Amino acid sequence: MSQRSSIKTWFNSGKPWVWLNAGAVSISLVMVVGLIGLIAVRGLSHFWPADIMELTYQEPGQPAEVLIGERVDHETVPAARLALSGVQLPEGQEFAQRTLLKVGNRDYFGLDFRWINDPWITDIRYPDGIMAIERREWGNFYGYLVSVKQEGEVVASGEGAYQEFLQRLERSNELMRQIKALEKDEIGKINHGLEEIRLEKRRLQMDDVPEGTLPYQELEEQKQQLNDRYAKLREELSDLYQALNRDQIMVRMSDGREVEIPLAKIVQVYKPNGMGITEKFGQYFHHVWEFVSGEPREANTEGGIFPAIFGTVMMVIIMSILVTPFGVIAAVYLKEYARQGPVVRLIRIAVNNLAGVPSIVYGVFGLGFFVYFIGGSIDEIFFQAKLPSPTFGSPGLLWASLTLAILTVPVVIVATEEGLSRIPRAIREGSLALGATKAETLWRTVLPMAAPAMMTGLILAVARAAGEVAPLMMVGVVKLAPALPVDNIAPYLHLDRQFMHLGFHIYDVGFQSPNVEAARPLVYATAFLLVLIIVVLNLAAIGIRNRLRETYKATES
Amino acid sequence: MQAVNEQKNVARGIDIESMTRGPRVSLADETICLEVKDFNLFYGEKQALHGINMQIPKNRVTAFIGPSGCGKSTLLRCFNRMNDLIDTVKMDGHLLLDRMEINSPSVNVADLRRQVGMVFQKPNPFPKSIYENVAYGLRLQGVNDRATLDKVVEKSLKGAALWDEVKDRLHESAMGMSGGQQQRLVIARAIAIEPEVLLLDEPASALDPLSTLKIEELIYELKEKYTIVIVTHNMQQAARVSDYTAFLYMGELIEFGATDELFTNPAKKQTEDYITGRYG
Repeated sequence: MSQRSSIKTWFNSGKPWVWLNAGAVSISLVMVVGLIGLIAVRGLSHFWPADIMELTYQEPGQPAEVLIGERVDHETVPAARLALSGVQLPEGQEFAQRTLLKVGNRDYFGLDFRWINDPWITDIRYPDGIMAIERREWGNFYGYLVSVKQEGEVVASGEGAYQEFLQRLERSNELMRQIKALEKDEIGKINHGLEEIRLEKRRLQMDDVPEGTLPYQELEEQKQQLNDRYAKLREELSDLYQALNRDQIMVRMSDGREVEIPLAKIVQVYKPNGMGITEKFGQYFHHVWEFVSGEPREANTEGGIFPAIFGTVMMVIIMSILVTPFGVIAAVYLKEYARQGPVVRLIRIAVNNLAGVPSIVYGVFGLGFFVYFIGGSIDEIFFQAKLPSPTFGSPGLLWASLTLAILTVPVVIVATEEGLSRIPRAIREGSLALGATKAETLWRTVLPMAAPAMMTGLILAVARAAGEVAPLMMVGVVKLAPALPVDNIAPYLHLDRQFMHLGFHIYDVGFQSPNVEAARPLVYATAFLLVLIIVVLNLAAIGIRNRLRETYKATES
Repeated sequence: MQAVNEQKNVARGIDIESMTRGPRVSLADETICLEVKDFNLFYGEKQALHGINMQIPKNRVTAFIGPSGCGKSTLLRCFNRMNDLIDTVKMDGHLLLDRMEINSPSVNVADLRRQVGMVFQKPNPFPKSIYENVAYGLRLQGVNDRATLDKVVEKSLKGAALWDEVKDRLHESAMGMSGGQQQRLVIARAIAIEPEVLLLDEPASALDPLSTLKIEELIYELKEKYTIVIVTHNMQQAARVSDYTAFLYMGELIEFGATDELFTNPAKKQTEDYITGRYG
């Protein structure tokens, strides 16, 4: 009896509820922390310059071999699974340990990852001399430096060779930068100019200007100038290339073969086994920086993801610029001016339901309406000369941003309406009583006070838009964009260009990559970066909102 | 509650008698500012005001008293067409401001509200600086000249007996002021555009006794320049500040006359019952 009543008392005291609520909150917290923790650890550990092991490995009935590589993974597998891959364990042993080794040198070994069974490893060493060489093609190379060559002649070998190699690598990377700059900027400009001339000619033809008249001659002249400049640049470039190809190194692989690597193919080199902890951290941040600021190589499995970061941020910003005014204006009309009745109610229901439409449907709509219809019409009217190759009539940054703006506009409308209805009536009346018209009251008092609510809407919109991938595949995101949407050729911001996006990048690297093992950590790293960017964008918006709230405190009182 | 406040004021030795009572007044000698003729008002089907007839004299304080829901605020809000905001309101009869029909379609509502200012029950300063609150009405009229604004802001704040308290923090947010200060700020905001009439809708009901007293003193000073109509629940307040009093009950004007007369010698039984506290 007293037992029951004490349970009842405990129940009535409300404590179970508190526990339940607190429990729900803790589970959510654990999930969030766990999610971010997982992708952060998996993604960020990829950049650590791990020690490279050299080991002697002998499969039964095979000659012993030497392997060099980074240990990537380690697991316990049942005998049955090993048997499937042709490995027979001794009778009675049910499990075995095996290690995934990144052996690199894909161009010589075929695969750059290899599972090896722990029992057959006979000796593990960590010699200081092993180099990890990041190459522009074929992934990493692991091996020992034999000698440094200049145009086929050995210039250094033995002790001082590594220093010589580093110096020459710096030179070749500098040359590479110059070549990139020339190709991208100078030749890009010339190509752009030639294209302009071609279009101008086409325009003249369409205006029925007879061939050979003055405007044609002028264009020819300009074309000639550009071609001359191009020829000069070509010469300069070929000189640079010659200089670049001057040096090579000879390296010895784990199986004893000596091979030649041109310095032009090398991004960077380091010797992790000899590094102290500070050096390792230096190398780590160097890797991270390269990942964040570099361009992707080798079907996105190597290099950085800067174009994807840039594309994502750019798209979200353009989307915000489009969606905020549109959503706010619609909300103001619905809340302030429209006569409240069945029609407005219907519109409101429709707007709310828009938020529930699957995003891929927006992609289809964007492709059909924005890209083909509007984009096509724009091309017809403004870019006649360029047809049949499309300008705005193909997927691009503008259409992707617009599609996402449509996708997120319900959020902004709903949030703004909420904000408007929270403005105290007394404030509106106060303004009206001073002789303000409704529009003046809106502009001077109501809208500024509703600004924090609009920002809330924008925050939600940004969070949704930055994470959206499916519709983007149809309206402008590509696996590898040849150029950023912003560059130094007028009009500087190219809204018609296709762009890269982190979300799509994750999908592409994770599922479309030929090199699964190499891609996996990049998926985590990219995912972590995407989360980080959304957090940063949101924090920025929340910061602005808090400042606005500080200014317009009245709504809370 | 208000009665308790009243006693406190007396206890503090504040002589309300001498402060509030002006010379004896009579409606016959006054210039008429606002006139209400056979005025009816409906909220949808429900009639809220029944055949009101009243003349409100210029540069005097007229108080509307009556129990909650009697229509005194509704009537007050008709003078600057605040009821326009409510879709279901229908009116007939006449409302005249200086013999001009207030509800005529040719009247510009914004202009009308500039002539007939209003202060509400709860202080409603805008979430802007003190300065910008007072300058709001002028800026609406396109006055952006700094010197003019400075002058008007100072004058209005002085007029609302607030200048000394806020002159050093004009550009701080008005939301940080006390309730009484906020209400005086709202009055300053209203008088900054120099209206002809000032409508006060229970201006002191949300304030503490001391702030109430300040507002009352202010009203007394303001009537020099403005015609003031005040709605109040507090009969002592009506007696203290007003020259004329109208008693409304259930949407009808029961009695209207000089305050002294009405409070000391009411003509109607209902009025007497109300002011002696028998109902309401």
